[in-house]
Amino acid sequence: MRLDRVIEALLFAADTPVSADALARAIGCPIYEVEEKLENYGARLRDTSALQLVRIAGGYQLCTKPEYSEVLSRFLAPQNTRLSRAVLEVLAVVAYRQPVTLAEIEQVRGVDSTYGVHALLDRRLVREVGRKKTPGKPHLYGTTQQFLHVFKLDDLTQLPPLELSLSQDVGDGIPSEQGAFLLE
Amino acid sequence: MSAQSAPAKVQQVSAIGVTPPPDIYVECQAFSGSLATLFLMVRDHKVNLLGVPLAPVCEAFAEYLIETSGEDTERAASAIAVLSYLLERKAFALLPVEEASSEDPPELSEPMEPSVQEFAQVILALNDLAEERGGLFFRQSRPPVQDLVDGKGGAYELPIEIGDVTTFDLARAFERLVARAIPDKPAAFRKPARSLSEMMVVVSRALQLEFKSLDEIVVGDFTRTEAVWWFLALLELIRIGQARVRSHKGEVQFAGAAAA
Repeated sequence: MRLDRVIEALLFAADTPVSADALARAIGCPIYEVEEKLENYGARLRDTSALQLVRIAGGYQLCTKPEYSEVLSRFLAPQNTRLSRAVLEVLAVVAYRQPVTLAEIEQVRGVDSTYGVHALLDRRLVREVGRKKTPGKPHLYGTTQQFLHVFKLDDLTQLPPLELSLSQDVGDGIPSEQGAFLLE
Repeated sequence: MSAQSAPAKVQQVSAIGVTPPPDIYVECQAFSGSLATLFLMVRDHKVNLLGVPLAPVCEAFAEYLIETSGEDTERAASAIAVLSYLLERKAFALLPVEEASSEDPPELSEPMEPSVQEFAQVILALNDLAEERGGLFFRQSRPPVQDLVDGKGGAYELPIEIGDVTTFDLARAFERLVARAIPDKPAAFRKPARSLSEMMVVVSRALQLEFKSLDEIVVGDFTRTEAVWWFLALLELIRIGQARVRSHKGEVQFAGAAAA
């Protein structure tokens, strides 16, 4: 079997982003070979297909090209529920300051944010990632793979840069490996 | 500081949206008014809770419980919700603030107020990203990603075959049923009047062969406990194939099992 066709079959069958590592393990070949084939396959689709290969939420996934969105919207009639401004604010605070507690979110927003956090938990855009070692051990919240998928991000480093005039104290608690997006 | 459980004035504000807490009047330097108003003012950051001693308020609540012998559990529960919120907020406010290290320059020694304004630009950018992503369509199986985003609840599994009816549809039907119910008379830890199997008999008799909404099936007055038992029995009937459910014009409808 040709490797590129096997990869195409796996990508077609998958309904979630698949990492090159997972593909390599499934096929039983080196990861660099898979990455090379993925690159070639993506390039081939660019010219010859209504589909495209995108890097999203830490993996590769097939999707339709944007130029077909109108007709697909008519056909599938997706019910897009937009996030309200308040919920987006909560999401932004979680995304840029994760892991973060509800109290810290409220400190930034200055208003009760319980509803916003629950709405985001319901939509699987944020999740509890642990508890803070402070009195009361409050829950810490962070973003999910679903968040990356909904905002077409490959990982958190692709978040739009937060332009800060205040600086050093922002990002307390953010793991160092995710720190690249913190400060421009 | 004083807190009295005697009604100071007619309570107009429903502090937590459902049942107002009892008329406990709080009087101190920082605040003067009812417990419900205190809750609203603290929630909206209009009162510094550090200036409001909460111990007398708790005492007044305990006094209220003794006086009323726990007759109105709805209002008592509301007061507990309000008091626990206030205690949590106050405890948080009392946490020690980390002092700035001595190496910090003087101008940075005061903690800067974080503000949501910092995020204004990225919120716009996130909106753009979401819009761009909205133009892409991915192959999906159950549970679809977009269903999760839309809150249709594709991730929840039910051990019942309910066709195109989602768990959210059922939840909404249950919510409407409970909204019509009247609060139960307080009777702590009493056993339910009927067992689930007895309730299933009642429910199966109420169901007809033609599909009807819960509003049409359940008529008259009923308590919240009865509503919960009724709905549980209905779910159990669906599970064992003695009832059917469908989504019709956005409304969930139920019917008895079709004749064999």
